[in-house]
Amino acid sequence: MNQLKKFKTAALVLLPILILVIIRMNNPDVFKESVSKAMEETKDHGNLITPDHLKKLAASSLVIDLSNKDHHDSLQFHPTIYISPERLLDPENREILDRTKGTVVLYADDVAISSKAWIILNQLGYSNLYILTLEEDPEVLKYKFQPDTSARLEEELN
Amino acid sequence: MNARIIFSVWLVGLGIIVAFLPINGAESFRLESKELLAKSLDEVHYISVDQAARYLNNEDSTVQFIDLRSPEEFRECNIPGSVNIPFPTLLDPAWEATIRQKSTRTIFYGNGDQTAAYAWTIATGKGYKNCFILKGGLNEWFRTVMNSNFSGDKITPAENARFEARVNARKAFTQINSLPDSLKSRFFSTKRLKQSKLDGGCE
Repeated sequence: MNQLKKFKTAALVLLPILILVIIRMNNPDVFKESVSKAMEETKDHGNLITPDHLKKLAASSLVIDLSNKDHHDSLQFHPTIYISPERLLDPENREILDRTKGTVVLYADDVAISSKAWIILNQLGYSNLYILTLEEDPEVLKYKFQPDTSARLEEELN
Repeated sequence: MNARIIFSVWLVGLGIIVAFLPINGAESFRLESKELLAKSLDEVHYISVDQAARYLNNEDSTVQFIDLRSPEEFRECNIPGSVNIPFPTLLDPAWEATIRQKSTRTIFYGNGDQTAAYAWTIATGKGYKNCFILKGGLNEWFRTVMNSNFSGDKITPAENARFEARVNARKAFTQINSLPDSLKSRFFSTKRLKQSKLDGGCE
């Protein structure tokens, strides 16, 4: 009888913790993936896709345009849905993402928006996710640094 | 015997809890997704190249620039005083103390906006405070600061101040990046020494 009481005490302490853990695990807003997964997938721009590649993708793929409203008309990718970036994680948009069987391609007129959205969705566990880029490599330095061969900093060094 | 049974029950209970936890819990983002998304759309975490030029000119010690490019690109040119953390090594534990800052503002930059946006989202998601992005990266720095040119007749005081800051930043950028690597490190250690003397600290 005494033993049973102790079991009950242990169960009473552990059960709420277990319930809290299960609730947290089922919370769709909690990130579950390892950050290294995102790092791995961005390696060598493996998560980028060009318009040429996009044309070759199956019809089951979906382009999500996160651009500013004014820029929507300039793109003619099909099938494309427009989602305001602030509403990307709304339940109805999460449902669209969950439903899509093929590749999901994120696009925004500002590449920083699509890149941040890509990391967030990747860490929420969405796979087969790409960023549409209009440039082959958006991270190329377009300028060449011209060193000043006459630069003198002796006074600073002495 | 009783103590053993109680201990076993606790162990089994904790085991079940651990089994439900994400395996890589320690490596996952701390923020909730909606909070991170809202933060990522807030423009306050962007630093313009003109602001960066002012920080450089003032040798602002509350700001640190993190260059996310490769060591080769970094050696060719960088914003003076930057720390080179190539993006693929961002999660290296050796960098944690550098990125996790309480009062120093960490400004990430690459050549464009993409790598800095990745790094910012990862650092902020992991709960690091005071992280910023240099808007437009080094391409914007070259376009605005390095190639700045005034060709009008009249200049307002604000424009004049901005133009002067760009010219000074350009001068510092060019001078320091023109030095050989050995002199660059000597230049910064001499500067630190001078600063510590001015502050009245020890060498």
